[in-house]
Amino acid sequence: MNPRLPYCLLLVVLSASVAESQAPSLDSGSKTSVDSSVNRPSITKVPAETILVKGAWSSASDSVTAVPEAATVAQNVFSDPYFGISYTLPQDWTQKYEGPPSSESGRYVLAQIGPPKTREGPTSASMLITAQDMFFTPLPAANALELTEYIKDHLQADYKVEAPPRLIKIADRSFSFFAYWSPVAELHWYVLAVQIRCHTVQFVLTSRDTKLLERLMLDLNKMKLPAEVSATTGDGGGPVAVCTKDYARDENVIARVDPVFTEHRFNPVPVRIIIDKQGKIKHIHFISAFPDQAKAISDALEQWKFKPYVSDGKPAEVETGILFGRAPHITAPHAAGSAVH
Amino acid sequence: MSKSRFASLSLAVLFVAGAVSAQTDPGVQSASRGTGATIIDPSNDPNGFTAFFNDGLNRFQEVETVSNSANTGLGPRFNSNQCSSCHAQPAVGGSGAAVNPQFLLISSGVAPSDTMPSFITANGPTLEARAPFFLNSSGAANTKAPNGGVEDLFTVTGRSDAGSCSLAQPNFNAYLAANDLIFRIPTPVFGAGLIENLDDSTLLANQATNLTNTLGIAGTFNRSGNDGTITRFGWKAQNKSLHIFAGEAYNVEMGVSNELFPQDRPLPEEEQAAGLPSNCLNLTGTGYPEDTSNPTQTTNAAVLDDVSAFANFMRFLAPPPTSSVVLNGSQVPASSIATGSALFSSIGCATCHNPSPGMTQVSNFAPALSNVQVNAFSDLEIHNMGTRLADNVSQGSAGGDQFRTAPLWGLGQRIFLLHDGRTTDLYTAIEDHKSSKSEATTVINNFNKLTTAQQQDLLDFLRSL
Repeated sequence: MNPRLPYCLLLVVLSASVAESQAPSLDSGSKTSVDSSVNRPSITKVPAETILVKGAWSSASDSVTAVPEAATVAQNVFSDPYFGISYTLPQDWTQKYEGPPSSESGRYVLAQIGPPKTREGPTSASMLITAQDMFFTPLPAANALELTEYIKDHLQADYKVEAPPRLIKIADRSFSFFAYWSPVAELHWYVLAVQIRCHTVQFVLTSRDTKLLERLMLDLNKMKLPAEVSATTGDGGGPVAVCTKDYARDENVIARVDPVFTEHRFNPVPVRIIIDKQGKIKHIHFISAFPDQAKAISDALEQWKFKPYVSDGKPAEVETGILFGRAPHITAPHAAGSAVH
Repeated sequence: MSKSRFASLSLAVLFVAGAVSAQTDPGVQSASRGTGATIIDPSNDPNGFTAFFNDGLNRFQEVETVSNSANTGLGPRFNSNQCSSCHAQPAVGGSGAAVNPQFLLISSGVAPSDTMPSFITANGPTLEARAPFFLNSSGAANTKAPNGGVEDLFTVTGRSDAGSCSLAQPNFNAYLAANDLIFRIPTPVFGAGLIENLDDSTLLANQATNLTNTLGIAGTFNRSGNDGTITRFGWKAQNKSLHIFAGEAYNVEMGVSNELFPQDRPLPEEEQAAGLPSNCLNLTGTGYPEDTSNPTQTTNAAVLDDVSAFANFMRFLAPPPTSSVVLNGSQVPASSIATGSALFSSIGCATCHNPSPGMTQVSNFAPALSNVQVNAFSDLEIHNMGTRLADNVSQGSAGGDQFRTAPLWGLGQRIFLLHDGRTTDLYTAIEDHKSSKSEATTVINNFNKLTTAQQQDLLDFLRSL
């Protein structure tokens, strides 16, 4: 990697053009968290290349409150209202394929973008944007910087570290930047990570061409992000609820009703909730659940009551996580002093 | 244009054409690799399981009839009449052969009154068919009524050993018209005993550490509804053990009721109606189940049922050996295969197709199954594979686009690829991993960033497995 790169990134704030050839952009369409097959009338033919029978999937108690997976790539702009991210893509870049559903470990694929198919190939680059819910990660990391450090420490033998995790400025925010490459594949990965609403949001750039990757990194300076985010802190607040990992612990729960499941399943069901200033749950987001599980948990959570969260002496909305179902396998204890909030 | 400039241009065009010549799947490797042997070392077989392997191998190849023979129980509905007819390539226990035996079942009198389904062809894949949804009375697919059960291709109608049983085949034309039919090819079972003997904790630890990937991949496991443990056999990892796998296949694919699946199985739509007609029940004349312990009706209490024998055969099959690769008549250099192996890991294929998901537990069967590295090239997780591969069939907790990471050992000698055998070309199979909602899209993007020569190395490597 070019050793001057981090210094350049510190200095350059404005966007830089990306020197790739031009072509019209395509829209990937938006994601949906609701199984739209539920009330669909009978149809003559099963539509091709459509997933109608789903496994565990994401869903939410209302369709108004933003959820992480509702990212869109439209009119050359990637945006995710939940994370408050807006990024005008390099000209003509598109998302051809939407990402998979969010996982039981709280991982999201927000966008997979790159040049049009006509320019895919060894000279191209691509960008993967993911989010990891830090409430539910089984990895021993509490924030974006720790997560990239953990990833670096657990790279396969095929990879070489080009730049160990360090803090850099992207769009005037502190990001963790980490680069590695595969000598045999001659591919380079630049990983930029930031903490937003207790998630690590990663931008993973891949190409054989490090100059192109550097230009793409600079291009990310165009991105719009919430004010309070950084590589080590990004705990909500301001226009969105504060997030804190363990707010649903016993001492904060005034009334609790356990869900009654009609079917015995064995998957973890990670759930994010937003609690209003009165201590009632105002929004439930199922990151990965079967519909019957979501229904049973919703019916129970609607009866829960919490002590109001207090910030600076005033009641405030708070976002937290609860894991129902089976706990996932944990790799190792979290690092000391690495509580999310 | 001057002559010299024209010559230069021609050379340049030739050079470019050479540089971008397409990568080529070396194809099915025909040289014998010794696949199909037992994993048991006869000289270190203290429990005597070599004999059980051989017994299972024999029974795996027995041809079943409906009644009046030594091997009865076929039907009343079935996909074939012999385990090894479907599990044939490159040896008994494998996947479908180049010549589809199902195509001959009518002409050979096994299903004399049936009509050959249009999707069964002489040299196409050996198939099982499923309808993701029930049809309504007007023949439309009712997407509010998931089906997903196997629609057996053939019936015993017209056979001399089937009495008066007369059944219609499923209305495949109606299902096809509604785009409501999907297919599965036989999963090879080489090395299955090692997969069976991996402890859940090993797989769970792999799953957790795998989350360090920067590819957006995060799989899950299918689990037994009985005890919550990880299930691992079948295209969606829906079967817990080789016994269950064998028992289900014996019942569903050949129509033989057994101790694990004790009734004759009607079609899903038949079950919703009146079930199998009475004159198609108990065709063997022995009662149920048709396959029991003590099949030879002797006083020897130690005689196994067929299902147990099948399970033993699969359990003691050795993993398929790796080998050199021939491409266009020439042996591929070992360096290409080594590079391909490294590329396979580097671009992320190995994140799911884990070359070695772990070491087996101590086996109570044979020392050869104990403490063995399982080079299966699978994490045994189920992953979302996207709209292109989705079949809208749910099995266990696997949804319509979730599939077990197919173990790649033995890939070098497989003819038909992916769960439905839709292609014989490895490059196409790789590209089909990429679509909306697929966890593999980023990996395929990486594959597409490789040079043609690198992609060739990768294909060479895969055919060495």
